[in-house]
Amino acid sequence: MTCELKSLKRLNGAYEERIGQLVRNRKKGKKVVGTFCLYVPDEIIFAAGVDRIILCGGRNDTIPAAEEYLPRNVCPLVKSSFGAVVSKDCEGSCACPHFALVDMIVAEATCDAKKKMYELLGEHVPTYVLDLPQKPDSPEALQYFKGELEKFKETMERLTGNRITDVRLRKEIKRSNETRRLFMRLYELRRTDPPPIKGSDVLKILQKQFFLSPDKLQKTLRKVCDEAEGIKTSSGHGPRIMLSGCPMAGGNTKVPDIIEARGGTIVAEESCTGTRSFENLADEDKGPMAALAERYIKIPCACMTPNDRRVDSIIEMAGQFRVDGVVYYTLQSCHGYNIERYKVQQVLRKAGIPMLAIETDYSDSDVEQIGIRVDAFLEMLQ
Amino acid sequence: MIAAGIDAGAATTKAVILKDNALEGYKISPTGFDFLKASKDVYRDALKSAGLKSRDVEMVWATGYGKNSVKFAPGTVSEITAHARGVNFLFPDAQGIIDIGGQDSKVILLEKGRVIDFLMNDKCAAGTGKFLEYTARALEVPIDGLGELALLSKNPASISSMCTVFAESEVISLRAKEFSKEDIAAGLVLSIAQRVAVMAKRVGLRRNIILVGGVAKNAGIKAALEKEVGTELRVPFEPQITGALGAALYKR
Repeated sequence: MTCELKSLKRLNGAYEERIGQLVRNRKKGKKVVGTFCLYVPDEIIFAAGVDRIILCGGRNDTIPAAEEYLPRNVCPLVKSSFGAVVSKDCEGSCACPHFALVDMIVAEATCDAKKKMYELLGEHVPTYVLDLPQKPDSPEALQYFKGELEKFKETMERLTGNRITDVRLRKEIKRSNETRRLFMRLYELRRTDPPPIKGSDVLKILQKQFFLSPDKLQKTLRKVCDEAEGIKTSSGHGPRIMLSGCPMAGGNTKVPDIIEARGGTIVAEESCTGTRSFENLADEDKGPMAALAERYIKIPCACMTPNDRRVDSIIEMAGQFRVDGVVYYTLQSCHGYNIERYKVQQVLRKAGIPMLAIETDYSDSDVEQIGIRVDAFLEMLQ
Repeated sequence: MIAAGIDAGAATTKAVILKDNALEGYKISPTGFDFLKASKDVYRDALKSAGLKSRDVEMVWATGYGKNSVKFAPGTVSEITAHARGVNFLFPDAQGIIDIGGQDSKVILLEKGRVIDFLMNDKCAAGTGKFLEYTARALEVPIDGLGELALLSKNPASISSMCTVFAESEVISLRAKEFSKEDIAAGLVLSIAQRVAVMAKRVGLRRNIILVGGVAKNAGIKAALEKEVGTELRVPFEPQITGALGAALYKR
C-alpha cells in the first residue's frame, strides 16, 4: 500500500505562505492576475513581471451566494468561482481573499457558462477575455490565436508598463517547460504497478500548480519525485483507475476520495488537473509567441470541435498507465464533457476498457450513491 | 455448505438461506428506519422458515443500500454484483438484468454471468417504485392494481413530467380533464417503462433479460417494459430476493 510521502508536507502551510508573498509583493508594486484556465499562457504573464494565481472554485460553500445571480443548473465550478467574488460574508472563507488580491482577471472564451459568468465578474473585478478559436485544427485558427496572444501580451505590458521581450519570453518558456518535465517525471513513476504515490496526493500538487509560485512548485515536484523514486512498492492493491473528464479545482477531491476509500488505485488523470496541463512542451527554438500559440492551441478541451485529440490521448494513456478501468468524471451541466462521454465510451468499449460515468456537483448529497457505483465498478474489474 | 445473504434495501430488507444449491428459506420485510434491526428480523425469520439456527450458517454476506449497517455480516458486496450472481444462479443464460427497486432502478449487462457494464438511477425517483407509489396515490388505486388497471386502457394519457412530484400534479390535472383512471394509469406505466428502457438501451441490453425488484411482480408494468425494450422479459419466482441470493453466493 502506498503511504503519504514526507516531501508532500512541504505543501503544509504553503497556502498561507503564498498569500503572504502575494500581499507583500503587491505592496511593493507587483501586479497580480487571476486566471481560470490552462489556455492562458503563464509565460506571457511572468515575462511581464506579473504574478498569477488560479481562481477556479472547488468549494461548495460559496455556491449559494452565486445562485442569487446565476441559474441553479450551471456548472458548480462556475458557480463556486463566482460565489467567491460576491460572497458578502467573506470572513472565515479562504476563497474570497484571492479576488481582493488580483489587479485583473485574465479570462478566456471556453465554455458558455464561463463566458457569461465573466461578463458578470467584470462588474466586480477588471476582466480581460482571451478569445479562442473553437475549431483549433486549421492554420487560420492558429493564426488567429497568435493574434489573440499578441493582444494579451500588450494587455500585460499596459498593466505593468514593462516591455515583454523575446528574451524574457524564452526564459519563461524554459521555466514552464521544466515544470512540465517534472510533472512528466512524476507521471512516469505512476506507470509502475502499484505506483509509489497515491492519486489523491498527486492531485494535491496538481490543484496547486497554478497557485504556487513556479519556484515553489518545481522544488516540491523535485522532492516528491526524488522520494517517490526511492520507494519500493509491494503488491496487493486495487484495480488501476484513470480519471478522465472535468477539472477538479482546489477544494474538490470528492470523486478521487471515494475511489481510493473503496479500494481503487488512481494512476492517471486525463484532466485540466492532470495531463492536459503539462502534456506538450513549448518549442524552445522557435519564435516564442509562435511556440506558445502552437503549444496552447493543442490543449484538448471539450469546448473545442472536433476534439479527437482528447479521445486519442485517453486511449494512449490507458495503455501507458495499464489502466483496468476509466472513471469518466463530469461536473453537472458541463455540456462539453458530458456529451463527449459518448465518444469516449465508444472508443473505450472497442478497446475493451470498462468505463464508469459519474456526473456530480460539489455537494455531499450523492457520496453514498457514487460509492455504490464505484464498489460495483471495482468488483467488475477484479 | 449453508450460507445466508442479506439485502438491506432502501425500501425492503430481504434474507436468503442457501444450503448448497437449494434455497432453504427466505424472508422479505419493509426496512423501516433501522437497517440493523430490519436485517436481524428478516434473518431470524428466514432461518425459521428454513428450520435452521444461526449457528448452522457458515457464512453471512450483506448487500443493499444499508449493507454496512448489517454488523453481523463479516463482508459486503455491491448490489450490482449481488444481483448479477443471483440472477446468473437462477438463469445461467441471462445477458441482462433490469431491476426496478423501491428507490432506484438499475440495468446490468452480463456476459457469462459477469458484469460488463451497468447504469443506475438513484438520484431521482423517476423510473423507480417510488414514482408508482406516489402517482398511484393520486389515482386512489393500490400500487399493486396500477399495472392491471393500465392494461384496460385503450388510449393512454401522456405523462410528460419526469419528476415524481410534478407527475403527481399532472395526474391531478388529467383527472380534472376527465381522463379515465385506466388511461392515466396506462400513461404512468408507459412513462416509467420508457424511462427504464432508455437506460437498458444505453447499456446495450438486447435479449435474455431478467426483470427483478418489487415492481417486476406487476404484470401491467412488465408488459409495458417488454414493449418498450422490444423483447420478452423473464421474472424469477420471487423477483425481490435475487440480491440477497447473490450475496449468499458471493463468497462460495
